[in-house]
Amino acid sequence: MLPYLLGILLLFVNAEAYAHPVIYKGGTMIASQNMEMFSDNQINYSFHQKWATGLNLWRFTKENAETTQFGLVRLNHLLKRWNNDNSQGNIYISTGAGVAESNFNMKGTKAGYLGGVEGDWETRTLFTSLKFYQFSAPKLDDVSITQARIGFSPYEANFDKLQSWVMLQTMYMPQVQRSVVVTPLLRFFYNNILWEVGSSLRGEWFLNFMVHI
Amino acid sequence: MKKLLVILLLISANAFADEISVKVQGMVCSMCAQGIKKKFTEIKEVKAIDVNLDQKVVSISTEEGKNIDDETIKRIITEAGYNVANIERK
Repeated sequence: MLPYLLGILLLFVNAEAYAHPVIYKGGTMIASQNMEMFSDNQINYSFHQKWATGLNLWRFTKENAETTQFGLVRLNHLLKRWNNDNSQGNIYISTGAGVAESNFNMKGTKAGYLGGVEGDWETRTLFTSLKFYQFSAPKLDDVSITQARIGFSPYEANFDKLQSWVMLQTMYMPQVQRSVVVTPLLRFFYNNILWEVGSSLRGEWFLNFMVHI
Repeated sequence: MKKLLVILLLISANAFADEISVKVQGMVCSMCAQGIKKKFTEIKEVKAIDVNLDQKVVSISTEEGKNIDDETIKRIITEAGYNVANIERK
């Protein structure tokens, strides 16, 4: 029973896809996203409206079953925000340093690093985002992620109502999967909780959860 | 008679409370705007807070005889990641 409950908890203490890497000053974000080829678990704290720091654990599972993990201390910065009457746009940069571990070929633990840039633009019914992350562990492994999203909401939900979205996500991680992974998904958020469920066109499940505290 | 006194008390309390409407730019996502509610709720002068995404307005009711200055309001909205377009007091 306990492992089952822990499993459920882990599923729901998980997510970043929507995740603005920096939230309101004093806010904590716990997030996790999970797919067969990768998982991303993180907790970060926004100590300023433009800066956040936290811990991040990425795990990549390649087609040959090799796994590489990066455990990083991250620093995220809101480089630019456009607050318009009916829309918002953002550009973020991220950096991280920590350890990387691989179970294949050159087994071992090395220093690992992350550099990333991402941007989004959204209204109450439209959402687009583009993200590029480069993970590097010299003499061990390198993984890059290019992720794009586009989505729409069929209705405008007010502050305390459930908001629903239909989204299409594309991910390209050439060191993990040779092809682009296309994933239609549903996103919901209610108050400070967000969750997403989907399945890639190849049948790989996608689960995402995030909470702002 | 008792009811009348209660009503009079409520009316007089409201007479000394501030109702502040803040027009906010960039407020398009309810989850992201949670920080606004959280931060205003932490202020002891605030009696109630309402966020309206349709009108892009944050409505603040203050406790009787209490007030919040514009600078504090702007600071909280800015720290939540948004811009203040306008502040109106009733």
